[in-house]
Amino acid sequence: MTLLDRAAGLALAIAALGATMWLSNAPITVHASPEAMLRLAWSALPERVERCRQRSESELAALPPHMRQPFACEGTSAQYRLAVTIQGAGSWEQTVQGGGLRHDRRLYVMRELVMPAGEVLIDVRFDRVDGSGVQPASPGDTRNGRPGAETIPAHLELRQRLHVPPRAVVLVTYSPEQRALVTIRSPGSAQ
Amino acid sequence: MIAVIRPGGRFTDNLDGAAAAVRAPPAPMAIAAPRLERLALRCLSIADTIANRLYQQRFNPLYQSGTIVVALYVVLLVTGLWLLLFYRIGAPWESVARLTADPWTGNWVRGIHRYASDLAVAATALHAIRMFAQGRSWGPRTLAWISGSILLLLIFACGWTGYVMVWDTFGYHLAREGARLLDVLPVLSEPTSRAFTGEQPLPTAFFFLNLFAHIGIPLAMALLFWLHIRRVARPRMLPPKPLTWTIVALLAAAAILVPLPISPKADPLTLPEQVRGDLFFAFWLPAVRHGVAVAWVTALGLAAVLLAVPAFARRWRTRSAPSTVDESLCTGCVQCSLDCPYGAITMMERAGPAPLVARVDPALCVSCGICAGSCAPMGVGPPGRTGRDQMARARPFMSDPGRRAGEVVVIACEHGAAAHQAALHGAGGTVYAVGCAGSVHTSVIELMLRGGAGGVLILACPPRDCWHREGPRWLVERVYHAREAELQARVDRARVRIDYAGPGERARALEAVRAFAADLRALGPPADAGAASDPSCALTPAEVER
Repeated sequence: MTLLDRAAGLALAIAALGATMWLSNAPITVHASPEAMLRLAWSALPERVERCRQRSESELAALPPHMRQPFACEGTSAQYRLAVTIQGAGSWEQTVQGGGLRHDRRLYVMRELVMPAGEVLIDVRFDRVDGSGVQPASPGDTRNGRPGAETIPAHLELRQRLHVPPRAVVLVTYSPEQRALVTIRSPGSAQ
Repeated sequence: MIAVIRPGGRFTDNLDGAAAAVRAPPAPMAIAAPRLERLALRCLSIADTIANRLYQQRFNPLYQSGTIVVALYVVLLVTGLWLLLFYRIGAPWESVARLTADPWTGNWVRGIHRYASDLAVAATALHAIRMFAQGRSWGPRTLAWISGSILLLLIFACGWTGYVMVWDTFGYHLAREGARLLDVLPVLSEPTSRAFTGEQPLPTAFFFLNLFAHIGIPLAMALLFWLHIRRVARPRMLPPKPLTWTIVALLAAAAILVPLPISPKADPLTLPEQVRGDLFFAFWLPAVRHGVAVAWVTALGLAAVLLAVPAFARRWRTRSAPSTVDESLCTGCVQCSLDCPYGAITMMERAGPAPLVARVDPALCVSCGICAGSCAPMGVGPPGRTGRDQMARARPFMSDPGRRAGEVVVIACEHGAAAHQAALHGAGGTVYAVGCAGSVHTSVIELMLRGGAGGVLILACPPRDCWHREGPRWLVERVYHAREAELQARVDRARVRIDYAGPGERARALEAVRAFAADLRALGPPADAGAASDPSCALTPAEVER
């Protein structure tokens, strides 16, 4: 093994390590476009759409004592249509249902839409689409023996003009406290 | 005895071809895979030759890929435990940033930790390629291949959690894209991506779970590693010390000279154009950009191919018959069970002259034939390759009328120097190819010398690259250190030499033959050349036993 071989071996080892270091900290392009993003993300309980009737005395008497609920309810969870318009054009729609096999769990909205940076008019609508004509159970409703849970309203709308810097994300989410859609932005990009 | 002469014209004692069982009809994979295997072997051979020249065979890092991963694992454990002292799940980025700002207590350790994990990925991939190219991925080695593949996946998972721990822009990106991949699985009721929308700060519980996974996965890896090496006897866990410390020193030098930066803190509400990331662990990110389905199909496809290699290899390879024991010859000396590199031979009690008898577990035997070289009475070995079979094959080889008196017989491993048969012949050696130099019975060496050879040069594969793990080691022990079945004391050791050459080391093999031939010329003719040149004087097994 000559001195030249040793030097070449050391050079090769350093080159391999250098390549490892570069690959370990390499620039990865994740968003090549300078456009901004509208992110829709929320979770809420869908409204319960059900028909309830009061049980008669004879019906209640026929039931075991522990099953004598005054109301018999049948129904389903509401469906919603999410429609988004950016700059008054390019509408995007999606039907949203509750989670789970029977769609009776919480519904989740998670969608990202690219939008231009600068002055942007966004219009987000979230409407119940069931045409059954049956009123949903309201909070505090105890017709079926259970208190009504806090559900998302049948109609939500957010129409807002924003100044959005390039590569900023505007998050639209549902605020249970305000019972309305709200926007959240990075502190540095909100203007 | 079936002597196989391959198209190249050389003898071989590996009966893979002769023992070919019924083969399944070729599938597209079974056609492409052997080509891929040959290509990988050729590339490895070139790389090995260069590395042998620059670092010597003993320190060739390409031969040590498996043990290097273990050494790096230890480095990762030590540095990881140190870094853990400074990590705060309540303020992940801030704690790492504080660590980064302090060059004495932390950042260089962090650099070593990261570069060691990168090298571990590279070394693992290299190890897998070597095992695939050398056909060590199926049959009794299936368990090692499958467990190794899972270990590779766990390394990726561990790296993923490690980068998420930092919670910088790269960590956020990995977490986000990983969540998008998970969300297509029908098992989760709530999309995990929602956690990373920026709606709420991530709870501390997330970072606690992530830290738990980052520590738990390496523990699972240790368990899997035990499975990985379970079927090998005397596994070498670490590279030679000089190589280990050189790697550690290089990692430390790199970490100190080029301090590792930290990316900005994760902000879910901005879209960075670029992030500085680790391509060893984030190479899959571009696939996600083409869609989650594309990423899943690619990942599952690659994992399926990796895990299916043993099943496919079965279709294009033929498994040689495992070793058998002639119980009438077995003396119960336990040597074969000590020498077997795969722990496939155990000793059982029996009633008879010898209290013990060797038993081969066919499920563990890879038919390397090393037991054949370990058995003095020649009672064990793969069919057609026991000591007796080797003697029967060597006799006609030595009595060939074309033999030149006093010539150098080169016993060459067919995975190594036997590839240069014509060149070795030109340099004055006659090649006698064997499946593994470690399987050669020492009586064959004696027979060749008594049959008229001026000297016997055994060109084995480099010890760290023996396809059967311990062939060169036992060969040296048997020839020079009286390990059972040792080369008899009556054999002139000056006429026997062991050297090592990989398949790409033609010049080294030729140099070894020329140097040995020159030394033999200086020695003069053998003392009993007249008698020994008569092949009928060659040893019989009975003589060997005496």
